[in-house]
Amino acid sequence: MKHSFQKILSFVTISAFTLLTLNACKKDKSAEDVQLPPEVKDHNLVLKFKAVIDTVPLEFGKSYQNFFKQSFSVKTFKFYVHGIEMINTDSGKVFRTGADKYFLVDFSDSTTTELKLAVLPYQYNRLGITIGVDSARNVSGAQTGALDPAKGMFWTWNTGYIMAKLEGTSPSSTAPGGVFEYHIGGFKEPDNVLRKPVLLFPFGQSLDLKPGKTSEITVTANIGAWFYNPHDIKFNENPVCTTPGVLAHQIADNYSKMFTVISVVNE
Amino acid sequence: MTLRWTISLFLFLLTASMLINSCKKSDTNRKGPTPLAFTVPPGFPQPVYDFKDNPLTEEGFTLGRKLFYDGKLSKDGNFPCASCHQQFAAFANFDHDLSHGFNNLFTKRNSPGLFNMAWQKEFMWDGGINHLEVQPLAPLTAPNEMAEDVNNIIIKLKADSLYPKLFDAAFGNPEITSQKMLLALTQFVGSIVSANSKYDKVKRGEASFSSEEATGYQIFQAKCASCHAEPLFTDLSYRNTGMPLKVGLMDIGRMRITNKSEDSMKFKVPSLRNVIPSFPYGHDGRFYTVKNVMDHYSDGVQSGPTVDPLVKNKIPLSIFDKFYLTQFLYTLTDSSFMKDPRYSEPK
Repeated sequence: MKHSFQKILSFVTISAFTLLTLNACKKDKSAEDVQLPPEVKDHNLVLKFKAVIDTVPLEFGKSYQNFFKQSFSVKTFKFYVHGIEMINTDSGKVFRTGADKYFLVDFSDSTTTELKLAVLPYQYNRLGITIGVDSARNVSGAQTGALDPAKGMFWTWNTGYIMAKLEGTSPSSTAPGGVFEYHIGGFKEPDNVLRKPVLLFPFGQSLDLKPGKTSEITVTANIGAWFYNPHDIKFNENPVCTTPGVLAHQIADNYSKMFTVISVVNE
Repeated sequence: MTLRWTISLFLFLLTASMLINSCKKSDTNRKGPTPLAFTVPPGFPQPVYDFKDNPLTEEGFTLGRKLFYDGKLSKDGNFPCASCHQQFAAFANFDHDLSHGFNNLFTKRNSPGLFNMAWQKEFMWDGGINHLEVQPLAPLTAPNEMAEDVNNIIIKLKADSLYPKLFDAAFGNPEITSQKMLLALTQFVGSIVSANSKYDKVKRGEASFSSEEATGYQIFQAKCASCHAEPLFTDLSYRNTGMPLKVGLMDIGRMRITNKSEDSMKFKVPSLRNVIPSFPYGHDGRFYTVKNVMDHYSDGVQSGPTVDPLVKNKIPLSIFDKFYLTQFLYTLTDSSFMKDPRYSEPK
């Protein structure tokens, strides 16, 4: 009798304990549409960005040529990413990672070029990303983390985030000092330069996330794409774009095509 | 046996209480910051800025006040916010058309008075800044104002002996970020309310206008109040008042923000509260006295495609009108807020 009472007691103790643990640090975040299984703790997908110029990896300060055979070298290359979506076009399933989580991919800071994501284990064949910062975050005052205005991606005199930034020099540039500066931003219509490219995976490859395993996707960001298709951007004609408007839209159209998934590795 | 389950029960209770406390940010004995109330003056609308998202506290306000008066926020240490926003001038820059910034540079516009900022929906003469919290970033980083990099400011504040403690007191964590600095500055600047002029006392039934002031008020209501709307004495709109472009500044106003030609040379309607101590006037400070401003409206308005319909045919103001209007404008000076020790430089 005593023995079974003890058993009951220990059962009650354990279940009460478990309940407490589960509720202890509950955060009511509803960013994820789907509840992640418990084995996806921190992240199970690494999204790696690599900066390239057409086919070669970017080296800051080294001279390259654009589509128009104009030489240039790069000093700064960074952009905001959020709203990452894993898509299966066969089943129509879409998994959205925390839409409110922003990343600033800055190729001069290698800690920022690998995004660690928690994704529902499943098979996916497309990757959707949003380049830039949503209008809501442009109008809600002081932000922190990746959106800290100290990151140099914020216009102080005409409030708004710079969605993507490319700076350097070119002998073809007509700007003082031969510099070029593309600070692409604008969140109010009709100047909203948010772009949402959906990227295909290399032929025959798919993201196959297995419970308890981690996969890795590598995406190249091609600076060469900034200068053509569909809009011609030449250093002698448009060396500077630092305000929202038509030119910013054209450059955003171009760079929205700069991404290529070059590999998907499933563990 | 009894001992065994007593122990297990005790252990359970201990763990449970530990777990319950594990999510609290700091030890329970510590007292959090003291909440501070934000009072909307009688007759004022609800403020645009909502302190719900940035809870106003004594400690946050105190930190913001120290930051506001601290030259550390500028590149060479010489230009605190308060260098262009002086309390005795209603937090405008006393007797300066343009202000002085880093490296002997002039600002491009007249420093506005800082009061009732919580009711503004946009900031600066051109309205380019859409939120009170991010407003300080413009003067902090402008090369002709405080000229500092936000990262450097944070480094300087972290290295200071006092700031980590003040941030801890205000936000429950000694970590210093630009966001917390901006929230604290907002608590201070957003709390500066001016609503105790003679005009306000008359409205509250505590005083009455002299006959000259009353006449001036009538003229004001007839000829000025459609833009300088009570009780803020601005309708917060952008208008071109027919001031010719000033050579050397070539300031196109709001068009710089919107890129729209219809916004060319439009500037925000300034509040007339505390108008007398905040001279000179106009976006570039070209009018030295209120008389100069009234002369502009009665005789000087230059025509142009974007000049406001309300002033394009000038505003008929006799010499007597101007006298009475001036008497009324004197009643808009709130000397109590200009002397309020809560807003003054901390000792």
